Amino acid sequence: MNRIARYLYALPIALAFLMAILPYLWILLASFKRYDDLFSRPILWFFHPTLNAYVQLYDKGFERFLLNSVIVSSASTLLCLSIGTLAAYCFSRYKIPAGEHLFFYILATRLGPPIAYALPMYLIFDKLGLANSHIGLILAHATFNLVLVVWMMKAFFDDVPREVEEAAALDGCGPFRVLFQITLPMCYGGLVSVAIFVLIFSWNELLFALILTSNENRTLTAMLPTLIGHPRGLWPQVAAAAIIQSVPVLVFIFFVQKHLVRGLTFGAVKG
Amino acid sequence: MKGISINPTTTFIWVCMLPVLIFLIVVAVAPTTVAIIDSLENLSLTSHMARGQFVGLNNFRKLIGSDPKFYTALWHTALFVVLVVPVEFVAGLTLALALNRDFNGKRLVLTVVMIPTVIAPVVVSLVWLLLLVPTFGVLTQLMNTVGLFRDTGVFSDPTTAFGALVLIDIWEWTPFIMLIMLAGLSAMPQAPIEAATLDGATRWQILMHVQLPLLRPLIIIALLLRTIDASKVFDTIYVLTGGGPGDSTEVLSTFAFRTNFMNWNLGYGAAVCLLIAFASLVIAAAFYKIVTTTQARAAT
Repeated sequence: MNRIARYLYALPIALAFLMAILPYLWILLASFKRYDDLFSRPILWFFHPTLNAYVQLYDKGFERFLLNSVIVSSASTLLCLSIGTLAAYCFSRYKIPAGEHLFFYILATRLGPPIAYALPMYLIFDKLGLANSHIGLILAHATFNLVLVVWMMKAFFDDVPREVEEAAALDGCGPFRVLFQITLPMCYGGLVSVAIFVLIFSWNELLFALILTSNENRTLTAMLPTLIGHPRGLWPQVAAAAIIQSVPVLVFIFFVQKHLVRGLTFGAVKG
Repeated sequence: MKGISINPTTTFIWVCMLPVLIFLIVVAVAPTTVAIIDSLENLSLTSHMARGQFVGLNNFRKLIGSDPKFYTALWHTALFVVLVVPVEFVAGLTLALALNRDFNGKRLVLTVVMIPTVIAPVVVSLVWLLLLVPTFGVLTQLMNTVGLFRDTGVFSDPTTAFGALVLIDIWEWTPFIMLIMLAGLSAMPQAPIEAATLDGATRWQILMHVQLPLLRPLIIIALLLRTIDASKVFDTIYVLTGGGPGDSTEVLSTFAFRTNFMNWNLGYGAAVCLLIAFASLVIAAAFYKIVTTTQARAAT
């Protein structure tokens, strides 16, 4: 009986494991296939691996889009981490007048449909001459991720005992020194994982990128769909591009596994 | 003479909050104001007749009163949410119950299972596109051998296109629910479960009468988050069907995107976006209330 029960538990786990990994492995294989090998029936499981698709992407100037994504995601992470952390600390330690409303407003920017925020941003950036520049997209991604920083960092700050800060204040530390030399270093691990989440969310984001950038300023995610419209079907390249986009994500996610629940629910659920 | 006293704490709060306030004014308040003004005009970049004359509430009147496309998109969005959320919940909960034990390699299994949720939705779309391509997709070939989709692609028939998008969403987001449920299950006090077991309760009874009630706050959060996110679905539909064939997979997000950035009807599009934003603000308010009360209850 006990043994049967154990297999019963293993069944859904095995099923989920295979369903999660097989499709991904399939495009990993496809990215190393020659164009004609893709079409052979029955499916070719053993083939001469080639880096053609990756080389072709490089010839096309793919690294330009990669660079765009790196610039946008790291700049927006830096921006929203620096302003969000300061606000989160205030929310954690002080009663802010109208703080409730502000807190909710920040949340609303994340829960609302991105399209409803992207259009107004497009309209105003267009008037300011910032449409189709990295700056617009950086601001947009920072907005979108602000709630994650504020909610998560507030939770980390809440965990730091006030006695530590009070002791430092008695020793003559001003509020800035308390924050930057005492409290923030204690939340360092949390800060890094929040940064990784913001980085990933910005890196993965499509809608703002589509609307606020075009042509050579596109980020990876906005550039990927343009590959599939091709008449001869650049399938190995599509697969290779998808792999290039997703491998950094999988590497980074591994490092923040401990905070995965918090990150994915922007702090609403404590892991 | 009394000098102006500056409280250092007040200064500190202002210095900390000012960047966020300025930032929100630039990226949220100002754009919303522009959108409200535009929604009252007949602004269109493709028509020479419509150069932004003030038309009052006409855009909203047309949208709510007589735009069948809007109602089609609304209906598809509602159908999508109703189809994906319950399935994702049941599958995610089942998976979490199975994973709620210690075994070798659990960390690795969890990382792999989370792949669909953490990779970009664009990549999810490309993965499934490659699996379902009529010419060589591995799934298409599998389905061909049992006689399905021999002459048509999955995405060229309205019903199967919508169905495929539903299944892909379930594939993508079930691990998300699993993760939240697993967090709840592993943080759960063991005493009530042990007590119930001693009283002779079956596994099923324990699940229904002990574990699920204890999970309630997390279940509410998970369902709300998924409902909100599913109603905003855009990326997979944009990449895989573009709302088609016809308008069979058009949802609110793709409808708003088409109005603004393909038909360049910016005045009307602004009205569409404001309406959606207002509706989601109401939902967000409900979410906020529920999360803060459950967190407050958990803290006491």
